[in-house]
Amino acid sequence: MENTIKVERAILNLTQGELADKIGVSRQTINSIEANRYVPSTVLALKLSEVFDKPVNDFFKLRKDD
Amino acid sequence: MDTKKIIECERTKIEKWSEFQLPNRWKTIGVLLCLVTYLTMIGLKFTDSEPLWLKEVLRKLLLIGFLIVILSKEKIEDEMLGALRAKAFTLAFIIGVLYALAQPLIDNLVHNFIYEPNPDNDFSYFQLLSFMLLIQIMFFEVLKRNR
Repeated sequence: MENTIKVERAILNLTQGELADKIGVSRQTINSIEANRYVPSTVLALKLSEVFDKPVNDFFKLRKDD
Repeated sequence: MDTKKIIECERTKIEKWSEFQLPNRWKTIGVLLCLVTYLTMIGLKFTDSEPLWLKEVLRKLLLIGFLIVILSKEKIEDEMLGALRAKAFTLAFIIGVLYALAQPLIDNLVHNFIYEPNPDNDFSYFQLLSFMLLIQIMFFEVLKRNR
């Protein structure tokens, strides 16, 4: 799974820490998601969707090997 | 009670038990308990009298200390930490079983071929449990640091 959370975050001018506070996780978790080291749960994906005001499909994409 | 209700009851109870965690401040209590117990154990080694009952109590206290550390939440507990904790439990369980299988064999080889045969060559529950708990703590800390 790939994502463009870093881009979405930059559009809203949010730091990793600020985004983490908004969805109730640690800054390290946001960092891991952005680096594709961790795939978040549906709940977390929907929370991100609320913050970015976009559907989940807009910033999470399946890779060919997924 | 019909089968569906029993299944539902079992499921919710297991879910509830598996999510049990202590508040973050318990981690410090657990670490302190482990340290004090360990230092007392070391201190007793240098004295002439080491009562068996005290040794057993200290062993149990050390295991309780490890368990408290493992069950305590982090300052910011989130789903990723839950996933890392589960990974550390899996690894600790697998390595613990391998250790239980290999340790008596290695102990036997060492004692029979290098030293005199040891009549008290038994494998204690404390040795295995403390090993598994330590491995869990170690893996969780490593995974947490590298997340």
